[in-house]
Amino acid sequence: MKVGKLIWLRRISQVFFLCLFIYLLFVTRLPQDIYLDYSLTFTDAPDVRLEQPVTFFWQINPLAWITTVLATHQWVTGFAWAIGLLALTLVLGRFFCGFICPLGTLHHMASSIKPALKGSALAAANRQKPDRMIKYFFLTVICVAAFFGLNLSGLLDPLSLLFRSLALAVFPALGNALNGFFEILARSDIKIINLLGYSSEVLVAPLFGYETIAFQTGWFIGILFLLILFLNRIRPRFWCRVLCPLGALLGICSKYSLLRLKKVDEKCTHCGICTRNCQGAASCEPGTPWQSPECLLCLNCQELCPEDALTFKLNRPLPMRGPARFDSGRRVVLTGLMAGLSIPFLGKLDGITHRSPSPQLIRPPGSLPENDFLDRCQRCGLCMKVCPTNAIHPAFAEAGMAGFWTPNLIMTLGYCEYTCTLCGSVCPTGAIADITSEVKTKTPIRIGSAYIDRGRCIPWSGNGSCIMCEEVCPTSPKAIHLKDDFVINPEKEMVPVKLPYINLKQCVGCGICETKCPVRGKPAIRVISAGETRDPDNQILL
Amino acid sequence: MNDTPITRRESIKKIAKLSAGIAAASGLSLSASSKNILAAETAPIAENVSKQAANGAWLIDGLGSAPGFSIRDLTRRMFAQAGGMEKFISKGDIVVIKPNISWAQPPHLAVTTNPDVMMAVIELCQEAGAKSVRIVDHTIHDARRCFGVTGAGDVAKKTGADLVHPRQSLMKDINLKGKRLDAWPVLTPIVEADKVINLPIAKVHGLSGLTLGMKNWIGAVGGRRNALHQDIHQSIVDLAQFFRPTLTLIDAVRVLAANGPSGGREEDVRVLNRLILSNDPVAIDARAALLFNKKPEDIGHIRLAHQQGLGHIDLNAVRQVQVTV
Repeated sequence: MKVGKLIWLRRISQVFFLCLFIYLLFVTRLPQDIYLDYSLTFTDAPDVRLEQPVTFFWQINPLAWITTVLATHQWVTGFAWAIGLLALTLVLGRFFCGFICPLGTLHHMASSIKPALKGSALAAANRQKPDRMIKYFFLTVICVAAFFGLNLSGLLDPLSLLFRSLALAVFPALGNALNGFFEILARSDIKIINLLGYSSEVLVAPLFGYETIAFQTGWFIGILFLLILFLNRIRPRFWCRVLCPLGALLGICSKYSLLRLKKVDEKCTHCGICTRNCQGAASCEPGTPWQSPECLLCLNCQELCPEDALTFKLNRPLPMRGPARFDSGRRVVLTGLMAGLSIPFLGKLDGITHRSPSPQLIRPPGSLPENDFLDRCQRCGLCMKVCPTNAIHPAFAEAGMAGFWTPNLIMTLGYCEYTCTLCGSVCPTGAIADITSEVKTKTPIRIGSAYIDRGRCIPWSGNGSCIMCEEVCPTSPKAIHLKDDFVINPEKEMVPVKLPYINLKQCVGCGICETKCPVRGKPAIRVISAGETRDPDNQILL
Repeated sequence: MNDTPITRRESIKKIAKLSAGIAAASGLSLSASSKNILAAETAPIAENVSKQAANGAWLIDGLGSAPGFSIRDLTRRMFAQAGGMEKFISKGDIVVIKPNISWAQPPHLAVTTNPDVMMAVIELCQEAGAKSVRIVDHTIHDARRCFGVTGAGDVAKKTGADLVHPRQSLMKDINLKGKRLDAWPVLTPIVEADKVINLPIAKVHGLSGLTLGMKNWIGAVGGRRNALHQDIHQSIVDLAQFFRPTLTLIDAVRVLAANGPSGGREEDVRVLNRLILSNDPVAIDARAALLFNKKPEDIGHIRLAHQQGLGHIDLNAVRQVQVTV
């Protein structure tokens, strides 16, 4: 009994799902070696798709499902696993938190390996605290806000949070550092160091890619992630106990779960081992009422109890003991309701969704209209991670407060490749529709339109010839056409140039012109959202 | 040439013999008139023999006239006509193929080098004993997508050639010693290779008029290459005098007649079923310009390259041979 077979089972499950999460995160990208049969490409432009089920962790995510249903007021499909997980929670309790959740596993590791607290301090930290209600507050806010048209779940949902933190902050920083290191080696003139530098192709590139990655607000995402991990030093699994809205949702479902902790009070010597090892602060020690919504089902108490006083058994739930808790619960729900009600309306007060679309807010191709988009977007970062040109970034101010960290294209950092439709194919909630290249190019799906800043443009300003924007324009016929003309150069001479003009009927707003424009800093040709297909009001032409 | 259906091996032998004869006669040539060449399906015509003797420049015009002809066959015959790949590639050589696969567009849109041509050339290099063959191009679109969509990745997989991802660590500042360009980041696999074969596709281009062989070298450098357009012709010539390929093979099987160089529409594609092979980087561009009914003299970088002595703009100065399948 004391070997703790079940603990090992839990650990194996935790490591497995954490590895699966990281694996799926790594493969959320265009592979380095995509080989297609080009005989097929003669008939049509092929759609590159990922082979791995990278959205798995969102398909099993009940919070993503519930908030999407609440926000869209529609029965969204593709979440059967999530419903199954909720159903299983009704029986087993928060087994997801103890056995599956990769962020929970990271917290578990952070608080168990070199723990900050020991002995009585640890026991004190593991006693139930009233601040556990905060997570129910967050859950209420998220659900109510979703119902009124703003899906905020991704900001706090542990799976979206973990993916965003790892994909947009931790791994890019790590990859850039490694790539930079090997690049220094590769540039060396000493042959052996030079060869060592090229070993990055084997070590770094397969995982992190070749390019230096950038993400807007990446530093903030990274610091927040470190902060959340640091909380484990205050209390083990602080996040899971106090903040996690998914944990709150599963906690509500496990309130009357059938698997219950049976305490044999007579056997207990009050040695405190169970409390010191309790992950969820669920009052596992005999003499106190066990809190099923708080129990993470880590099974430590059952496995470590030297007296065998604690066992999990399938049982009919007893009526909850312990009065006065529901009072604070009601307050939490009430304040949550108030906040949840106000956030969608306050968040949309900037008018981006209803009055004047943000010119800088360029959504990925296939994105739903802004209000529908905000109903669904989980801000998970899958589209940002998969984008081969690193064009999609978490929005900072472009989408207003309501759209913080939602995907936004920044054309100075990357551009939308004409036939690429990867972002829509990995979106877990369909905020970006899964379109084909044919639909994208033939419809065409526009994400904005370009305009020329003649004061900065090299030929327009008389500084020489250039046709970079025209050359890279991918539409056919090109959306940028050239007019032979003469301009007066700084030496007051007439110089023949080709002046670029934009044909708005052709422009899809892909932004490659802005990316490749030789005018650095602020390119001479820029893309704004006006003209985007998804918004019939945000147009220029009749 | 022999138009009757014979096996490849036989045809290569015959062509080899024939080309030996041609070489003995110190070469045959074709008039520079484009009409003449486009119409010609006959055996090469001897002309201007005295002029050619002065230089070793030669140019082979390949035409696939038979319906459903094999691009591979045509390519092989052309190389056989040139004296066989063994003449240019030694055993153990590291060969770099520089195609134009800048755009993630499928091959039928004629934006990128035809994969069949690429495959045939790589096979020939391997048969000649090349130690390794590398496909190198600094693409404009994302390299992975270019490799996948243009068919270059598939060619690499089938032939075992290396597909070199154009990454920063492979760029090294080298002094190009051009009139306009000095130190510039260059893709090192190209300069480190024993032999380089330039394998562009012929397309129209908004600024340089056409993108042919010499312009393909813009895909061999990194850095601020979007600024090269401010003096495109001199930049191309500076690059061309730095990158001296062993051979240039222009793919004009399908060419882009409008909306170049990015293309995207089948209406703009013209099927010419032509390949041009030469050891003269200027002459081959001049020859290819004629396919677009343009005078080579009107293309700035061809004219400049001739003036700087990189090759011959006058096709009469070059030994020309026609190969038809």
